[in-house]
This record gives sequence, C-alpha cells and structure tokens, in this order.
Amino acid sequence: MEALKAQFPATNFTLLAVVLALPLLGAFVNGVFGKRLGKAGVRLMALSALGGSFIAALATFLLLPKGEGGGSLSWTAWRWFSLNGRMGQTIPIDVAFSVDAMSATMMLVVTGVGFLIHLYSSEYMVKDPGYHRFFAYLNLFCFAMLTLVMADNMAVLFVGWEGVGLCSYLLIGFWFGDEKNATAGKKAFIVNRIGDFGLLVAMAILLYYTGTLRFSEINASARNLLDPVTIWPFGNLPLEGQWDAANPNANGLYKAIVHLFLPEKGVQVYASTLVGLAMFLGAAGKSAQIPLYVWLPDAMAGPTPVSALIHAATMVTAGVYLVARTSAVFLMSPAAMATVAVLGCATAIFAASIGLFQHDLKKVLAYSTVSQLGFMFIGVGVGAFAAGFFHVFTHAFFKACLFLGAGSVIHAMHARIHDTDKSQDIRNMGGLKKFMPITRWTFLISCFAIAGAPPLAGFWSKDEILWRAFSTKIVAPEVARDPLWTWPSWLGQAIYWVGVVSATMTAFYMFRAYFLTFHGEFRGWKIVAGWKEPKHGHDDHGHDDHHDHHDDGTPLEGPKPHESPLAMTLPLMVLAVFAVFAGFLMAEPIHVEPLGHILSPVFTRAHDAVVLRGEGVEKLMWPMMGPGVAAFLAGTGAAMVVYLNKGGAPEESFKKAAPGLYRLIYDKWRIDELYDAVVVGMVDALADIFTAADKWLIDGVLAKLTAAIVAFFGTVLRTFQTGRVQVYGAAMAIGLAGVGFFLVRPHADATVDDSKLRSAGEVVISAAPGPGYTYRWEGTGTEQKDFSAAREVRINVNPGETKDVKLHVRNAFAQEATHSFAITRPGRGFPSSAAQPPLVPGTVVPAGGGSIPAKDIPGLINPRGAQ
Amino acid sequence: MSPLDLVFQYWPAIGAGILGALVPRGEASTKQRAGLGFIAALTTLFVIWLWPTEGAAQAAQAPNEWPHLLNLLIALPIVGAAAVLFIPRQMLSTLRGFTYVVLGIGFVASLWLLTVPMTAGWHFQYIKDWMPSLGIRYHVAIDGISLWLVLLTTFVTPIAAYASFGSIKTRIKEFCFALLLLQGGMIGAFLALDLFLFYVFWELMLVPMFLMIGIWGGADRVKAAIKFFLYTMAGSVLMLAAIIYLVWTHQKLTGDFSFDYLALSRVVLPKSAQLICFWAFSLAFFIKVPMWPVHTWLPDAHVQAPTGGSVILAAVMLKLGTYAYMRFSMGLFPGPASNLSANLAGVAILGGILYGALVAWKQRDVKRLVAYSSVAHLGFVMLGLFSATPSGMQGAVLQMVNHGVSTGALFLLVGVIYDRRHTREVDEFGGLAKVMPLYAVVFLIVTFASVGVPGTNGFVGEFLVIMGTFLSERLGKFAGIHTVGAAAGVILAAVYMLYVVQKMFFGPLTNPKNKHLSDLTVRESLALAPLVLMIFVIGFFPSIFLDRMKESVLLQHNQFKVVSGQAILFADDRDAKLLPEDTFSPVFLKGMPKKEKTEEPAPGADTQAALGGEGKVAQ
Repeated sequence: MEALKAQFPATNFTLLAVVLALPLLGAFVNGVFGKRLGKAGVRLMALSALGGSFIAALATFLLLPKGEGGGSLSWTAWRWFSLNGRMGQTIPIDVAFSVDAMSATMMLVVTGVGFLIHLYSSEYMVKDPGYHRFFAYLNLFCFAMLTLVMADNMAVLFVGWEGVGLCSYLLIGFWFGDEKNATAGKKAFIVNRIGDFGLLVAMAILLYYTGTLRFSEINASARNLLDPVTIWPFGNLPLEGQWDAANPNANGLYKAIVHLFLPEKGVQVYASTLVGLAMFLGAAGKSAQIPLYVWLPDAMAGPTPVSALIHAATMVTAGVYLVARTSAVFLMSPAAMATVAVLGCATAIFAASIGLFQHDLKKVLAYSTVSQLGFMFIGVGVGAFAAGFFHVFTHAFFKACLFLGAGSVIHAMHARIHDTDKSQDIRNMGGLKKFMPITRWTFLISCFAIAGAPPLAGFWSKDEILWRAFSTKIVAPEVARDPLWTWPSWLGQAIYWVGVVSATMTAFYMFRAYFLTFHGEFRGWKIVAGWKEPKHGHDDHGHDDHHDHHDDGTPLEGPKPHESPLAMTLPLMVLAVFAVFAGFLMAEPIHVEPLGHILSPVFTRAHDAVVLRGEGVEKLMWPMMGPGVAAFLAGTGAAMVVYLNKGGAPEESFKKAAPGLYRLIYDKWRIDELYDAVVVGMVDALADIFTAADKWLIDGVLAKLTAAIVAFFGTVLRTFQTGRVQVYGAAMAIGLAGVGFFLVRPHADATVDDSKLRSAGEVVISAAPGPGYTYRWEGTGTEQKDFSAAREVRINVNPGETKDVKLHVRNAFAQEATHSFAITRPGRGFPSSAAQPPLVPGTVVPAGGGSIPAKDIPGLINPRGAQ
Repeated sequence: MSPLDLVFQYWPAIGAGILGALVPRGEASTKQRAGLGFIAALTTLFVIWLWPTEGAAQAAQAPNEWPHLLNLLIALPIVGAAAVLFIPRQMLSTLRGFTYVVLGIGFVASLWLLTVPMTAGWHFQYIKDWMPSLGIRYHVAIDGISLWLVLLTTFVTPIAAYASFGSIKTRIKEFCFALLLLQGGMIGAFLALDLFLFYVFWELMLVPMFLMIGIWGGADRVKAAIKFFLYTMAGSVLMLAAIIYLVWTHQKLTGDFSFDYLALSRVVLPKSAQLICFWAFSLAFFIKVPMWPVHTWLPDAHVQAPTGGSVILAAVMLKLGTYAYMRFSMGLFPGPASNLSANLAGVAILGGILYGALVAWKQRDVKRLVAYSSVAHLGFVMLGLFSATPSGMQGAVLQMVNHGVSTGALFLLVGVIYDRRHTREVDEFGGLAKVMPLYAVVFLIVTFASVGVPGTNGFVGEFLVIMGTFLSERLGKFAGIHTVGAAAGVILAAVYMLYVVQKMFFGPLTNPKNKHLSDLTVRESLALAPLVLMIFVIGFFPSIFLDRMKESVLLQHNQFKVVSGQAILFADDRDAKLLPEDTFSPVFLKGMPKKEKTEEPAPGADTQAALGGEGKVAQ
C-alpha cells in the first residue's frame, strides 16, 4: 500500500491512466484485429482489459486520501487547448482526471459491474458474427464512461458524455440489419444531443461567470453565479413602458398584442438558475427524464447485456452524477433544484404508470429504470446528493441483475422462439422457475431489492431519498437583495407522497413481471421455430381478445427452455449478493454508513443550503419509514393476488372495463406520437419550407430572376442590332433630339460646399455650368439685380442662423430656371458629437478648438468634394 | 546520433507505422500495408515534432526564415502547371508522376513553415516592386492564421489529386494543369498582402476550378460551372471597385499610390463609403464562404464537380472566403465589421447553422447534403469571426481546417460510392455496412467528426466558437441568444448526418445492385487514411495547432478591437482619414511601403491632423 502511495503521488496519479488505457486498448485491439483474433482472443482481450481496469480502480479507491476534508487523486495528461475568458484571461482546458470518493465509487461500479456484464456477454453473444465488434464497442463504452466519471473539468466530462452516447448509438443499432434498431439508435443519439445542447450552453455560462470549467474551481467560485440575468425581454426588445414611449400612436389591438409579449418589468433569474436548468437539460437527456425520456425504452432494441450495462447500470446515471458533481452550482439556485426534484418526481410516477401494463419484459425494466432514475433526481433535487448517488450505486446492482436475468430468460426463450419480439413477450413465458432456478432466484431477490423490501439495498437508498424529500428544504443563498425564488414548504411533502405512490407501482409491476415470467404454466409451448401465429401477428397495441388460448399448455415439438451457462449465471449471483447487502454501506437510520462517511466531504456545501423543514421533523424519521414499507407490501401483495392467485384475470377485467385507459397506458400515454406530431413535425415542416424556399425563392430570385432579367435585356437590345442603316439613323435622330431638348432647357443645379460651415460659417455654392448660362443669386447678402457670369457665391452664416439662397439661371435661349437652398449653421451651444475631438493616446488636441488653415493639413482631403 | 537512438527517440512513430501496416486484413497488397504504415508513422512524427515543449521557444531563438520559401510555394505549382503543357499527353504516368512530385515538394516545403515559432506579425515576408508607378508590389507573408490554411492546401491537394487519378480517365494533361494552377492560385491568395496581388490570385484560382467543373463534371456541369463563375465574379468585381476606391483615397491622403494591405489598413473612409466598401468586400467573401442567401451556387457546383474538384472546393476554396473576411474585411473596415457583427452573426446562425442544417436534412443527393452541411459548418466559422473574441477567432480558424479535413473526407467517401454505383441518391442505398464494412466504418468516423463529437476535430472548433460567442462583447445583448442558436446547431448536425448514415448503411440490404459492391480499394483507403488520422490528431491535440495561431489571432483581435473603436469614433460623413501608425502594432506594419517624398511635414503632423478636432478636419 505504502509502496503504491509512493509510486503514485496524489497530484500525478498515473494509475488513472491505467484505468483508462486498458479498456481503450481493448476497444482498439478488438475493433481492428478482432476478426483475426477469433472469439477466444476477443474474449480474453475484453475481459482482461476490464478486469485489469477494475483492479486499478480498486487500488485507486483504496489509495484515496482519507480524513476530514476528503481529498482527491489527480492526473493531468496534456494541455488540450485553452480559451480566453471574459477578462481576456487564459483558461486552460487540460485533459485531466481527478478522482474523489464519489468518482472512485462510480469507477468501481463501472469497471466491476462492467466486468460482470462483459463476462456474461462473452457467453450471451457467442453465436453472433459481430462478436469482436460487440466487445470493441463495449470496451470503448467503458473507456468513455470512465472518462466521464473521472473528468476533472466539464470539457473532459463532455468527451465522456458524448462518448457514451456514441457507444450507446452503436450498440443500440448493433443489429443494424433491422431498420427498427438503427432508428432506435438514431433516436437515442439525437435526443441525447438535445441534452448536449443544454450542456454546451451551461458550459458557456459557467465560463462567463466563473471563468473556469474545472469542477473544483466551479464549486469554489459558484457564488459568482448569483448574478441576476434578465432573460426576457432579450436582445433589443423593449419593456412594455419603453415600447409605449416609442410608439405613442400605436393602435389598440396592436398594442394589446405587443403587451402580451413584453413584460412591465424584466424577468430576472440568477445565472446559477440558467446554468442549473441548462445542465439539467443535459442530465435529462442522458438520464431519460421528462421531457427527454423517450429514447430509453426504444434503446432496448440493443442486445440485452447492453441494456444492463449502458441503459440501466452506468450511462443513464451520468445525469445524476453530473448534478451531484456540480452540486455547488445547483445549491446556488433553489429554483433549479426544485425543477430537478419536481421533474424527477414526475418522471418517477409517470414511467412507473407506463410500466404497469407492458408485455415486453425489457420494456417493463426500461420504464422501471426511467422511474428509478426519477427517484435519483428527487434525491439530488432535494439536496440529498449522497442519497441520490447512493441510489445510483444500489440501482446499478439490482437493475443490472434484473436485466441480465431478463437476458438469461430471453436467451432461454430464444432457443424456442427465434423472434426478438416474441421471445421477450411475457405472455409467452410463465413457469420458467422450474427450467432456470438460478435465474429465477436472482431475479426474485432483485425484485425485492427494487421494490424496497427491507433490508435489501433498494430499501435503504429509496427510503433515504424519500425521507430527505420529506424532511428538508433548500434555502436560497444569502444575497444582498431579495431571493428571486424561495422553496415552498409543502413541496418536499408532496414529492414524498408522490414518491410513495410510485414506489407502490414499482413493487406492483416488478412482481407482475416476476410472476408472469416464472410462475404459472409455460405458455411458450405452442411457439416453435418458424411458427406463425394465425390471424393476428404480434401487435404492439395488445388488443388481442383471443389471448386466452395461449395457456393450453400442450407442448409442441421444439427445444425446452434451459438454464444459462455458468458464465451467465455467475454474474447474476454476484449481483444478487450485492443487491442484498449493498444497502448496508449507507443505512443511515441504523447508523451503518461507511460509504456515507467517505462521500460526505464531497458534498460539504450542501450542509448550509439544505435545512430541516421545521422543528421536530427529525423525530419523524422512523414513522415516515412506514409508508415506504407499506408501499412495498401493497404493491407486492396486489401483484401476488392478481397474477399468482388469480392468474391475471383482474388485469383482463380492467382492460375490459376501461379499454381506452388501458390502451393509453399501454401506448405509453402516446407521448411519442405527441412528440412526433409536435416537435418532429414542426422541425420537419420547417425544413420542408426552407428547402422549398431555397430552391424557388433564394435560388429563384438570385439566380433565375437575375438571369431572366439579363436575358430580357439581351432580347430587347438584340432587336436594335438589325444591321439596317435606316434603323440606326432613326435611333441617332431620336437621340440627338433628346440631347437637343436637354440643352435647350436651363438647369439650375449647384454644388454646396459647406465643409467650413460649422467652423467659419462660410459656404461656397457653385452653380453647374451650361451653354450660355448666366446666373443671378438672391439672399446672399449682396443683392444682385442682373444675371451675370459669376458661377460661385460665398456666403457667411452666423451661428444659429438660417439663410435662404435662391439661384436663377438663364441660358442662351433666354429661358430661366430657379433653385433654392436653405443653409443652416448649428448654434454654438450644441456641438454635434461628430465634432468632438476623439480621445486618442498620443494625440495633442489643440486648445481652444480654433481652426487651422486648410493648407496646413496635408493629410486631409475631401474626397466627395473632388467628385 | 546512432540509428538505435533514433529508434528510441521515435518509438511511437515506429510503433504507429507497424500498427498501421498491420491494420489491413487478409491478402492486402504490400502497397496498402506500406502506405498505411507510412502514413501512420508520419502522422505520429508530426505530432511528436510539434508537441509543445518547454525548450522549444528557446531552441528556435534565431528564426532562420528563408525569404524565398513563400515564392517557392506559390511559384512551384504555377511553373509546374506551365511545365505540364510541355509533356506529351500520351505519357499518362509521367503526367501523374510529375504532378505528384510538384505537389509533394510543395507539401514538404510547406512543412518548413512550421519550424519557425509563429510569433505575432509577418513571417517569411518577401516584397518586390511590381508596378511601382501604381504602388503595386509583390508582397507575400505568412502569419499564424494563413499558416494553417496554406498547410491545409498543400495537404489536401495531393490527396485530391491521388483520389482523382483513380476516377478521372480523360484529359489527364489538362487536369494536371488545372490542378497545379489551382494550387498556385489558392496558396497565392492566402499569402498575398497586396490587394492587387490578392485580387490576381483570387481570380486566377477561379479559372481552373471553372474548368474542373465544366470539363470533368456531371451531366449538368456547364450550367453549374457558369453559375459558380458568375456568382464568384459578381462579388469579385465589387471588391475590385472597392479596392480601387480605397487605393485612390489612400493616394489622396498620402500622395502615394499603394495597394498594400498594411498601408491601406490605416485609411478610415467616410462613414457611408466605409459601409459600401465593407459590403463590396464582404459580399465577395460571403459568396465564396458561402453565407446565406448567396449560397445556392455551392450545392450545384458540388453536385456537378468531380470528386477531386469537390474536395478542393470544399476543403480550401471556401476557406478563402472566411480567411479573406477575417484578413481584409475585418482589417480594412473594422468599423462596419464591428457595428454589423451582431446582425451578421444572426445571419450566420439562422441562415447558416440552422437553415443550412435543415435544408441539408431534406436533400436526397448525398453530395448536395454534404454541400449544405458545409453551409452550416461555415456558419460556425463566420460566427466565430463575428464574435471577434480570441476564442471565437481561434475556433473559427481551427474550424476552417477541420471543415477542410472532414468535409474533404466526406466528399472523397461520396466519390467512392459514386464510382461504384453512378448515383448518389440515398434511397438507392441501404444496408451497405454489410457489403462494405470498412467503408462504413470510415464514413461513420468522418460523420462523427462532422457532427462534432468530442475526440474528433469538429468538437474543438465548435466548442471554441460557441464559448467565444457567449463571451463576446461585440455581440452585446445578443450573445446569449446567439449562443443558444449556435448550440442548437449541434442537434441538427446529428439529425442530418445520422439520417444519411442510417439510410445508406443500416437497415436491410434490399437493392440487388448493392449486393456485390467492393469495399474500399487500396487507392481509396490510402487517400482517406491521412484525413481520418488528422481528424483524431486535431481532436486530441488541438493545441499544437492553436498554439501556433494564438499570437497572430490575438494580434488581429486586439487590432480589430482598437482600430474598430477608433474607426467608429473618427469616421465622419465626409472625410477620409489616416490613422496614426502607432495605432497599429509595429510587427503588423512591418513591410509597409515607406514614403520617399519629403514634402510632408515632420512625422507626427499627419497624425495630429488626422486625429485633431473638427476644426482641423474640415477642409
């Protein structure tokens, strides 16, 4: 240990490079040379990469500085690039990694659970021709996820953040031959990109206000974010009053419409709220929260181990990790915290409700994941960062176990049903407990854990989150002015009760899935390879009324379901053990919390902002555990009655009683359809409009219309080029007549040179010459009676005075024309701004503002005068 | 140094070389193995060589700038083009070989530019009087901004030539001539600091590109070539008029004719003339970029151009627009450039980043789609320039290089499938990943570079631009909304690029014509390899690029900040003025034509006159 410590100093902890490099190496070797290595070689490479990474991560965890203030281990790889801040200061962005208790725990989860899932996949995917490709992606994913959790600054985190999204895209579309999978992958990536947009904006704001992207420095200077920002009206838009002043004569309706949009007073928020909301958008994208959760259920199109690793245990928790990592920023803004908590809470209950009636085993687990992620966001949203993060930790075990169990079931079903959809449909399962006991027991344990059965892992973490939500509130940071928003006292309790309802639903649908899968009779007997169900194929909308005769239980020819090999069951067993005991790492009510102790230095800032809601609330801790336990009992009991004792009959009767509601829930409240119609439809229509405009309007005007105009003039002018002398002669005659007419008419035109008007009050007016022109000036001071040849006249104007000058022109044909000029010299009292001598260093401005004769200014001319 | 030391010193490069040689599977040709190994080793060497080390600054204390290096870079391809005319057209391999040699020497010579520490100001400056009576000089120099664009040119053109010789089989001689002339024109335009010279090169490169589209293009090539030519020409003549006005004004102010960029930078035109000249210059550049709404020539030109032409057009020629805006519009007319930046940034975002992306999404021809994606990407570049922050401008320059690399690669990739199927309609494809796995992998990598996934080059540029936009004072109250708009562009980039990837590579392989397509050939993979490697080199080690441009960008930024402020203050409705020399950094004015006449008052008098109060200004 000491030797390791000496080898790896805390500020140059190169062991982190090992943790990162091994999965990257695995990805490279498997990706480029995988086909030549063969399956055994690929397996060896992938497993040893992750295994080595896990050992290094474990060493890192053990080497973490212990003690009061916590501490971190860091390693800077190289200077990535640098930016210039608001004040012009250089802000270096390094490829740097630093690990504290939270990231070290995450590293253990990623590499540990990751290793188990790699092990599992090495058997699960063994028949797939893309074996090496799969492990290359999976290793690359682990690398990206480790980058994400170990990042020292937002930019490096973003590398991992997008990297995991990229791997997720590749793995969801792993079987890209099917259009559906490829579409799901694309959807995941694009929805995640919406989140990344938020993260980019958050980074820009952080950079502006704190001048750094390093987490440690952001947390230290988070108070700089307490700058009020006017978000509406933005740009040059005026306030209501300003608009009125500018448009006094606006008509009533117009005014009313404008007033709808323009506020009386600018809407102000803290910069921290903006950062928090933008960051939460990113987190919501990655962690599948409302409004960006829609990609996760579709992401189940990927291979099941991928769902377990990426879409349950690790990647989707990155959002929670991010919020916890930047807790100091969120604590500066109670509004952002409340948004996180409320949206988390809404997601929890919403996704749980969808999970109630899904038929696809993986879909049930997917919605359960969304719902559990909602719980995690409740945790970080109410300031219980450690509790929220702890739920990430426990959830990784039991949800990975559930997914791998589901994979094991699907693997078994696949022996009989070579159809991805049907082999995942719980209506085709049942009674599997006798075929696959290990899978069944581990699945059951994990169901207990996720449902919150005391004292399993899920109970401790969920209870902690709900208790914190119930008992605490966030106080606004102290600022000189009024806080822009305060945390209402009822919010925590509301979240608590919604959370309890969601927990009840969780217990119900998890045990529904369990009973339908493992209990009763096996309903898949009549489905064999190549068999097509008569009349109705598999229909996603599930209105199959003749569904009952599935249960006749007559075995048809074909293989039986079977227990999976050891490489798949071993991870299940390990994860199940963790699902049972991981809760004791942070069981606050019974004061067994080793993990809590090492995490607490990470979230010290939460102590000031998160306070108890009222006097004596802390005494309610044990009583308030009651509803949580009751939720577990009620949900589990109800599922047992409905699906074990009555064989699912109440669900059927509910379907008959309220078919609309049932289908609405089954169709996931049709949110996907809503998004398709509104957001996608709008962007699509906009793109269509733009495309048409580009073709017809822009190209039409700039290219086709100009070409048409040129062609038109060409056509017209071509007709003159006849080659007939008569036509040319006629044209010449007409032209000469025109010129003659012009010459006969007098034209009173003059150029006014008022360049010295301001300084000397002198104006020179020179009339345009013409054939036999004589001129007479009026109003020049020296009155003229007769026309003379004097073309130029010089006028002196006093400050503030206006002079009207009239020019009469007579030409050789004795015809006359007149033109008048008004010349005004500005008064002395109002020097125009243009006349102000600019302040330039090194320039001597002569005193008195006296004029210098023009000939002394060689560098100055008057280009217009010379025209 | 013994050979063993070399091995120890450059082990990463040797390792990369061996690894590169191992990458091809099965009975790959020796040529492919050797080529890939060589490219990998060279790229690694490049990174090692440019890696920022502490000692580097001191080591290169005495910069040894060979003054004729830039002349060589410009003249070599042009002389080469002339020499091609004397090679018989039947000697195909000689023609090709000669072209490779000329371009290769150009590339190696351009690497020499990297040996000099790129401090602020001009390097490798070379000045020679050309038409003294009009003050026209041959004035070329390089700084950190043009450095990377010249390198991009010398890097991409050989690749484009190599790829073209695989698919172009007719009129090889003319093609070699056009390619070399184009190279000379582009490098000249990047290096010229005399507006007349710049204009000559600017027009010179138009002709070979016109020929390339018109001779080796697709079915509608003549129309597209004419459209390309007319659009660019319309901008150019406006610019010429503005150049002449500027020179004339300068002559009126100083009594000397000069087309020198440095001398003309001092001129502050009257307000309205300033605006008109700014637009005349900028319109020429915006057409070239192209910015909305003068972008419609680009998709047509790209669709019709041969692969090599498209690569050069996208990778280098479009950059001339952005580069020239940065150098000349911002340098000569900082006042309007500063005043209009918020509005122009709005156009860059709405018309470029968002509109370009949405229109790209709706294209069914892959090449058109990539062309519109260029409009979106160059929107980012222009936004970086309009933001006028050091980060934004560095991001813009880097993004120019990035776009050259990744869009160049995209056009090569589109050319690959076009050579096989003679169509580019996405609906014709589907499931190609099964028959052309290597092609799919490379396409995916380049796609993600284009989308701007971190770790690839696209991210660093976009990131710098977006951050620079939010920090920008120039955009004022609009910085926030501009940032949001620009960041929204990253969503749309994913939408249209992943759309085309899915349509082409994923899903079932239904079209029978696609079932027996061959994967990348040796030539294609060797042409793509350097571009793909550069994607990662820039993505992971952007500082080797940014460090060398930083000081020049900062100089340009500071100058823009100071001079735009003064230009706004000084400009009045009537008179042109001359800014004092001390407004500019001396390193910037190095090489400015010096006055020979002595009729002038003592130095400083013109300064005073120019900056004096209203009484003195009027005349």
